[in-house]
Amino acid sequence: MPYDVTITRLPLRALFDLKGTATALAAWCGTALPPFPDRPNSRMEAAGRGLCWTGPDRWLLMAALAEEATLAKALRSEQAPDDLSVTLVSDTLTFFAVTGPDATEVMAVVTPLDLHPDIFPQDGAAWTEAFGIRSATRRIAAGYEIAVDRSYADWFEESLRRAST
Amino acid sequence: MLLIDCPFCGPRNESEFSFGGPALTPRPSDPAAVSDADWVDWLTVPPNPMGLVEERWWHARGCGSWLTICRHTVTHEITEVRLGR
Repeated sequence: MPYDVTITRLPLRALFDLKGTATALAAWCGTALPPFPDRPNSRMEAAGRGLCWTGPDRWLLMAALAEEATLAKALRSEQAPDDLSVTLVSDTLTFFAVTGPDATEVMAVVTPLDLHPDIFPQDGAAWTEAFGIRSATRRIAAGYEIAVDRSYADWFEESLRRAST
Repeated sequence: MLLIDCPFCGPRNESEFSFGGPALTPRPSDPAAVSDADWVDWLTVPPNPMGLVEERWWHARGCGSWLTICRHTVTHEITEVRLGR
């Protein structure tokens, strides 16, 4: 019996890979960033921008693609000091949404990540595995969002569809 | 499969990690002062006791941290995980 889920390939978005301490990044980026998440593997949002804390001194900034140029200008990656790294990576990841009543059942097939709400709450966002490849996974209102390296996107979409039937 | 309790991410499957070799004693500061046999030992002979070993693992598909774990080679019990060395 197929699962009651919807698989959606999402449009490109502005993505910046940030490395450095929160203090140094906040000083460099100023108001371009949302507030920093206070827990590992979680996400904060403000004004349509999302900031995920994905590793020690590692962050992923997401925004609508229309904001890419504005953010790039504000973040000044070329002039970033030596203790920071600000890299535009918008075209490296393809995003999928897995939504619907059975989204968690399908995700249990897709990823070994513990999706229990106590471990991966509503603001959860983490790098993990999905079908054996690196993926960025986060919760969204009606399910989950998964991002994989763009070169895997077609295969990954097909795998999601097979897992949901 | 090992379940490695990453200090940043919490327990994650071994498949998210890449093995980084044994956590060796520090590199001799003056290799010229070490005998050839000791140098070859340090470079190429990993410790392999029936007991606890220290290993380096990279959380390649997770937070990107390098970890040092203390693992029992018989039971695979992991008694310690720490960030870095």
